[in-house]
Amino acid sequence: MVNVIKEQKGNVLLVRLTGSIEESVNFDQLIGSPPPELHVNCKEVPRINSVGVKAWIKYFQTAQSKGSKLKFIECSTAIVQQINLISNFTCGGEVESIYVPFSCTTCKSELVGLFKCEDLKKIELNLPELKCSKCAGKAAFDDIPEEYFAFLVRNE
Amino acid sequence: MSKSLLLISQRPEDQAFAQQVAITAGLTLQTVSNPKEGAEILVNEGATVIFADTSSEEHYHALENAIQSSIGLFSEKINANTTHFISSDDLERVPYLIQSPLFGNFIVRNYGDPKEAGQHYGKIVKASIQERAFGPKFLLKEGTKIQTVKFQVSTQKQDGVEAIKNFLLAAKFQSRMATTIANAVDELLMNAIFDAPVDELGKQVLATTSRSTKIDLQDQHAVEMHVGFDGRYAAITAVDLFGSLDKARLLNFISKIYVEEEYKVRTSIAGAGIGLGTVFRSGGSLFFVSESRVRTEVTVFFMRTSNFREFRDQFRFMSTQFYF
Repeated sequence: MVNVIKEQKGNVLLVRLTGSIEESVNFDQLIGSPPPELHVNCKEVPRINSVGVKAWIKYFQTAQSKGSKLKFIECSTAIVQQINLISNFTCGGEVESIYVPFSCTTCKSELVGLFKCEDLKKIELNLPELKCSKCAGKAAFDDIPEEYFAFLVRNE
Repeated sequence: MSKSLLLISQRPEDQAFAQQVAITAGLTLQTVSNPKEGAEILVNEGATVIFADTSSEEHYHALENAIQSSIGLFSEKINANTTHFISSDDLERVPYLIQSPLFGNFIVRNYGDPKEAGQHYGKIVKASIQERAFGPKFLLKEGTKIQTVKFQVSTQKQDGVEAIKNFLLAAKFQSRMATTIANAVDELLMNAIFDAPVDELGKQVLATTSRSTKIDLQDQHAVEMHVGFDGRYAAITAVDLFGSLDKARLLNFISKIYVEEEYKVRTSIAGAGIGLGTVFRSGGSLFFVSESRVRTEVTVFFMRTSNFREFRDQFRFMSTQFYF
C-alpha cells in the first residue's frame, strides 16, 4: 500500500510516494487536487500492478489536462519499467532522474545508482563503472540497455 | 503406435531443442526441413505434437498452405493444443501467428542452452499430451514440493503476493527478480478473482467491480495458488473454478503493447487490461490450461539467474491448452 509525504516549496508541491501502488491506491485522496507544479519522487516505489498503473495514468492525465506541470524524480526501477512499457505513463511530464540497476560482478549484490536523464543522454548511455558498496568489486549495469533506456531515445 | 514429435525446421538450434523436448516428453522425434514434407507425414502417419519454425510470415504461410492443401486446417489430425510455433520475435511482432486458427503454443527462440530449455519445455509438452494438463507438480523437476494457498477473501491477495516475494527471496532470487515475479502473481490472482467469474450465459459478473472490493472466495469463487521451486525454475499457479478463459480475448491482451500506441483508461471496466502483457514481457513464461466451465489454471515460470539481465533474457514461451 502506498503512502504519500507532501512538501510545499513555493509553487511546487513535492510528493514522495512510498510503498507498492496497487488497487487500494487513491491518488485523489493522497495528493489532492493537482497544483500548478507537481514533482513526484518515486524512489520508494518497489512495485506497481496493472490496476495501479491505470489509477496512476487516470490521476496524472487529469492533472496534466488541468495545466499541472509534472516532473518525476528519482524513479525506481519499477517505475522506469512502466515508463518504457507504456508510452503515455508520464502523461506529458518530465522524467528528471532515474535509478539505474547494477550488479556486482564479484559478490552478485544488487546496487542502484541515481542518474539525471540529461546526464545519461550526455554520456550517450556509456555508464561509468560503480564500485560495490559491500565488497568493493566492479559493478556492471544489470538490465537490457536497449529496453531500460528506451524511453530516453523515444522522447527525442 | 508410438507418440511422435514432428519438427519442421532447418535450424540446428531448433533440432537440439526439439531433441531434448522429445526425450523429456517420451516422444519419438521426426525432423523435416520444409512444411510440404511435414504435411506428408501428417497425412500418412500423423504426429502427436508439431513444432514448426514460423520465423517469418512467409514461413508461416508456407506451413498453412501445406496443411490446408493436404489434411486441411480444421482436420482432426492437427489442432492448436498440439501445435507449437517457434519464432525469434516476440508476440507483438507476429500478428500473423496470433490470428492463426492453429495458434496455441508459442516459443521464443532464445534457448540459451537448447538442452536445458528443451528439458523445461518438455515437461509442458508431456503435460499437454495427457488427457488434461492440469496440475503444477508435473511442470517442475520430479519431487519438487508444491505448496498450496487457499484464499478466503479477495483482500488476502496482497498478503499472498508478499508471501510469494518472501518465498523467492528465501530461495535466493535477487530482490528485483522476486518483485517482478510477485507482480506477475498479483496479475494472475487478480484475473482469477475478478475476471474469471461468469454467469450461466458466460458474461463476466465482476468486470466492473472495483479491484479493491472484498469478495468472498467460496464455492465456485474459490481461488487457489500453488507455488514450487525446483532449484532452477519457480512456478506459481493461480486456479479458478469457472473455466471461462476466452482464447481470443487472452491473445488480444497478451499481444497488445503500449510502447508506441497510447494506453487509454477505460472507466467502463475495473481491470486495466495490461497485466498479462506485462508478465510476458518481464521474462516470464505462461502456461494456460482451461476446461470450459470447469477450471482454469494459469502458471507463470521464471528461471533463477545470477543477474537480472539474464533473467530478462531467459528462455520464454506462452502455451495454451483449451478443452471444450
